[in-house]
Amino acid sequence: MKRRIAAIILACTTAFSLTACASKADVTAKAANVEENEIVDGKFKETKHITVEVYDRGNDGGSDPTNNMYTEYIKKGMLEDHNVDVDFVAVPRWTETEEINNLLAAGTAPDVCLTYSYPTIQTYANMGGVLDLKPMLDEHGDELKNLNDWLGDTNIYWDLDMQTNNLWAIEGKRANARRIITYMRKDWLDKLGLEEPTNKDEFYKCICAFRDNAKELLGDDADKMVPFSISYDVGWRAALLIESDMDPDITDKEFYVNGFDDRKLLQNGTKEAIKTLNEWYHENLLWNDFALYSAGDSTEDDMMKAGYVGAFQHNWDYPFRNGDDSIQSNLQRMVGEDAKYVAVDCFENSKGDTLKFVDSTAGDRKIFFPATNKEPLASLMYLDWISAPEHIQYLQIGDKGVTHNELDDGAVEVIAAEGDAIMNSGNNTDYTITCNGLHLDTEEKTLLSTAHSYSPCDPADVEQAIEYSEKDMKHSVNVKTPEIKSETGMSETLGAKRDVIYDTAIVADPAEFDKVWDDGIADYLSAGGQAIIDERKSAFESVYGSSENIDK
Amino acid sequence: MSAIAKEQELVSSAPKERVKWVAYLKRYWQLYVLLFLPMLYLLVFKYVPMKYVLIAFKKYSIVQSIGEMPWADNHGMQYFIQAFQNKDFVNALRNTIVLNLLDLVIGFPIPIIFALILNELAFKRFKKVVQTIAYMPHFLSWVIIYGLAIQLFTPTSGLVNMFITKLGGQAIPFLNDPGKWVGTYIFLGIWQSFGWNSIIYLAAMAGISPELYEAASVDGAGRFSKMWHITLPGIRGTIVVLLVMALGNIIGSGFDRPFALQNNLVMQNAEVISTFVYKNGIKGLQFSLTTAVGLFQSIVGVVFLLFANWLARKLGERGIW
Repeated sequence: MKRRIAAIILACTTAFSLTACASKADVTAKAANVEENEIVDGKFKETKHITVEVYDRGNDGGSDPTNNMYTEYIKKGMLEDHNVDVDFVAVPRWTETEEINNLLAAGTAPDVCLTYSYPTIQTYANMGGVLDLKPMLDEHGDELKNLNDWLGDTNIYWDLDMQTNNLWAIEGKRANARRIITYMRKDWLDKLGLEEPTNKDEFYKCICAFRDNAKELLGDDADKMVPFSISYDVGWRAALLIESDMDPDITDKEFYVNGFDDRKLLQNGTKEAIKTLNEWYHENLLWNDFALYSAGDSTEDDMMKAGYVGAFQHNWDYPFRNGDDSIQSNLQRMVGEDAKYVAVDCFENSKGDTLKFVDSTAGDRKIFFPATNKEPLASLMYLDWISAPEHIQYLQIGDKGVTHNELDDGAVEVIAAEGDAIMNSGNNTDYTITCNGLHLDTEEKTLLSTAHSYSPCDPADVEQAIEYSEKDMKHSVNVKTPEIKSETGMSETLGAKRDVIYDTAIVADPAEFDKVWDDGIADYLSAGGQAIIDERKSAFESVYGSSENIDK
Repeated sequence: MSAIAKEQELVSSAPKERVKWVAYLKRYWQLYVLLFLPMLYLLVFKYVPMKYVLIAFKKYSIVQSIGEMPWADNHGMQYFIQAFQNKDFVNALRNTIVLNLLDLVIGFPIPIIFALILNELAFKRFKKVVQTIAYMPHFLSWVIIYGLAIQLFTPTSGLVNMFITKLGGQAIPFLNDPGKWVGTYIFLGIWQSFGWNSIIYLAAMAGISPELYEAASVDGAGRFSKMWHITLPGIRGTIVVLLVMALGNIIGSGFDRPFALQNNLVMQNAEVISTFVYKNGIKGLQFSLTTAVGLFQSIVGVVFLLFANWLARKLGERGIW
């Protein structure tokens, strides 16, 4: 008897392990044929099931990104309108590329995926891991009214490969192009009797004054003073300084050919800007330990909140984000009511403009369907549903009285929410995947409301940030070249090299700066950078001939 | 019929070798059943995945099965050639060897010395307290240790550097100067593991017969000669086994420690093979290249292990097998 039981147990474990092996085979299965789907009045006859990626930002006291008031709204709406059952899959925001790589490689990626990195999508597409959206849009495109209205052909077909006629991803749209702006401690300027700077020279004098008066500004914490803060992503955190050293008349061709690195490592003028940072570093104007903290670390934010940081460059609304937990609110709680960051606009280029290189409506999040997606039509319907103006609006401002109030002038004021209604990302941008930035029924209301959407921060401060960040924008153009093969798989490797070059050059001995920079660039070019430049150059010339600029 | 009777029956009716085997199986079948699950675990999770080393010789695709993937160029060696033409890989290989050698030269003797000292302590309670404190860091993850290192060693806000600057000295860039970083890396590694690694030596020392010490005392041996002539020879076998294993690991490297401790300023010395594989393979999607690197690493590791074992046996020690 005993032996028989043992035999049964063995048989079971063996069978179990075999099925575990067998299930892997499904991974290679191609997406199901869409023709089988029967739709009546925009609704599937049979309930379809799809999974959608959502970023998990791990906010303190945030709501569950896969199960809260907003996910319920989406699930209910999709089920009622299209008979599609939606589930959300959380992916950590700060390691999203790695995470999506793992999910894709394991064949368990959500049906609707998004990422900021097109090269990642291209790499997987080359391996056959991504669905081609072109044939599906050819067949069903006309039915997707909301998607067409909101994104238009510009964003839908932005990534269309002219040679192969493949479309691997749809570009989500930026509701506005505001990108980066400089912030400065207004109360410190006042204390020292300084005006808000209007050019680089004045900015430099201001941060020097912060450094020299650390004792007065910070008292016993004087040694914690950081006049101008940069951290792990120097190319982002000093973007306006870099752009101010670039040629304002740079041609589309040059910008594109040297533009694989989106932190402008290879653009003209970047070396000058980093040299400035090198000087500042050795003049004790920067945070000495900036390179020791990696992405996602909150130390720098904490220093801003504690009031040690005089100035920084970041996303145009950075200090206002996160309601009560915003940098601005924390700063005022910890330091005093008059303490605050205000936007300044002072990085002028050789022409005297404070030109800001911004993206077009595309170039933000890209949405793609992995090859394991068995419900591409239902997934497209999801994109359509999520692009409907009323759905965008609801997700962005929530319920009246719970997440927002309506003001007399018609503006919507976002108020601090609790529990399930807490938005983990500003205006729920993590759910409105086709729309980044506030987008209400009228443009006027949108602008008015934007200023009010950072409560408890002062709307006037937000308005100033909007004004400065929208001044002198240079929109990027869509260069429609065939796939650049040498870029495949290089974005992570070269991106890591770029950060090493920036960091080591900034801390280098000033006498060694040129050598460190040039060696770094030479290494970058030999590791694949040059091949990309060459291929981009010939691809540009093959499409646009000898012209330097693209007609808009 | 009793098991023994059955066994006897088998012995008389079949060829001897085979019978022995079957008889053992029958007699101790419960133990074999217990062994079956771990064996299955090894088979499914350690051996079956080995077929995927083929990725190193093939052009990887996430949607094709291993059989369908096309062979890489140059008779499948494309990615090995690519790796050795890649400056970053060669640099990572160099760093791996240098850091591991330093770990070995500096880090290997320390647990032995520590165990010797502990062994000589007469006050047992004190010995236990010291031992426990020395073990503790072993249970900390490297991420936490890096957090501690940041609090202690950063130039501006690190405790050690604040102390140095308050005394009028210059802050030392323990973590952000490539050369000093190596020192910090080795130091933290030793700090984390020497207590734990000394356990095995203490156990070996406990096995040495007290009679030897008594005889030595009678002959007039002092503490140091007892240590030198009895304790050390007594644990020589253990030392050799651990040394052979450490040599087998000279080109391998854990992931947590270098990854947690490295930063952009010290990458020239801090990038090792495991972090190179992570960045280029998992993050950079170059699966074939990094599988080739991993395979190379394993093969060199095995060669080192075999060589060290052979050498140990040549020198009259037992080795690992």
